[in-house]
Amino acid sequence: MPEPIPTTLPAQDLAVRTRGLTKRYGRVEAVTGLDLTVPEGAFYLLLGPNGAGKTTTFRMLMGMLRPTSGSAEVAGVATSPGGQVRARMGFVPEHQDGPYGWMRTGDLIRHHAGYFPAWNDAYARRLADAFELRPDVRYGELSKGQARRVQLLMALAHTPPVLLLDEPTDGLDPVARDTVQAILAEHLAEYPTTVIVATHLVYEMERFADYVGVLGAGRLVAQVERATLQAQLRRYVLDVAEDWHPQLEAELPLLRQNGTPRERRWTIWGAEEDVTRRLTSAGANVRSVSALNLDEAALALLSRKEDR
Amino acid sequence: MPFDIDHSDSRPIYVQIMDEIRRGIVVGAWRPEEPLPSVRQLAVELRVNPRTVQQAYGELERDGLLYVRRGQGTFVASRANGADRQALLQEVARRLLNEAYRHGFDVDELTGALQREAKQPDNTQEA
Repeated sequence: MPEPIPTTLPAQDLAVRTRGLTKRYGRVEAVTGLDLTVPEGAFYLLLGPNGAGKTTTFRMLMGMLRPTSGSAEVAGVATSPGGQVRARMGFVPEHQDGPYGWMRTGDLIRHHAGYFPAWNDAYARRLADAFELRPDVRYGELSKGQARRVQLLMALAHTPPVLLLDEPTDGLDPVARDTVQAILAEHLAEYPTTVIVATHLVYEMERFADYVGVLGAGRLVAQVERATLQAQLRRYVLDVAEDWHPQLEAELPLLRQNGTPRERRWTIWGAEEDVTRRLTSAGANVRSVSALNLDEAALALLSRKEDR
Repeated sequence: MPFDIDHSDSRPIYVQIMDEIRRGIVVGAWRPEEPLPSVRQLAVELRVNPRTVQQAYGELERDGLLYVRRGQGTFVASRANGADRQALLQEVARRLLNEAYRHGFDVDELTGALQREAKQPDNTQEA
């Protein structure tokens, strides 16, 4: 029998876990029965199209939004509005509107630092240099990319055990993006951190990812170690007769198909050897098998969701 | 930067790092007893997760290509030899063959084409 696509990870030490987390706005469910499991020290990429529920999930994890039902825990502590969980998290929100536009950037950073006993001033100064921040400019007058860098500084400089980054590279030019990537790599080498990144720009953060969750319309379509995803999800190019109509749907989790009638390109979940054997015995000549990059993998997993 | 990571490549990043270090040793870019960049340095240079670099170094250490001197870092082992060169060649052959199959050619056709291609004046490699 084919193996189903996993949405749960094996038991281990978790930095973040949610149970049946649900948020309903009127009749619309933004997030439905989410069981997020993020292992300690993971770099967890939460992927999904705009409106899939990523930001809503983050706001519930931060205790900024009360779930309709279900619960969330960060490092074993239940999240609650204004609760102690927030001090243990660094958060870069997707939108930076707030009441602080009038403040000078330097003052805003000092104000923010006051909330965090673990604030590392020397590190904050190093980050400010690396990000080329200008402390005398009012926060509200910064470009989107500049504001993003201020937020990253504020999230990183108290070296929290858990970082939540919502579209962290949104609005950054290529040079700033490169700087952010270098700083993240250094941060991870220096401080033990669990990172959850929500993004639809997969290729900018996939270099760090070791776990992947795919969110489609408020539900987890997959939650899996990246290595497993890379090993199990493959594209098979098949030479077949034009009238080849195998009855394989029941046996093989076929996620996507394209190509031409005589050369089919099928994206299938399963152990390569087993899948190849089934395809061959159904009369196909397997011309090649290739792994997918994360962007393609997310697309394939999401397209399956639409089929159901 | 000692080499680049290709994020459109379907090989996992730690495998790309391993392959590049192996290649570097075989072609002499890294010599026996020379130090490698620290995990942190390489992670920052490549903009990748330090755990990924650690994984690559760990596997190369198990393969006997690298070794760790306590407190000093990671070094190229003195047995960077013909066996690794052979393994690298096998890997190149595997990739070529896959690419040939994908385009509908068999191994004899590929070998013949390689011989013809190597005889082109532009492609003769100086030994």
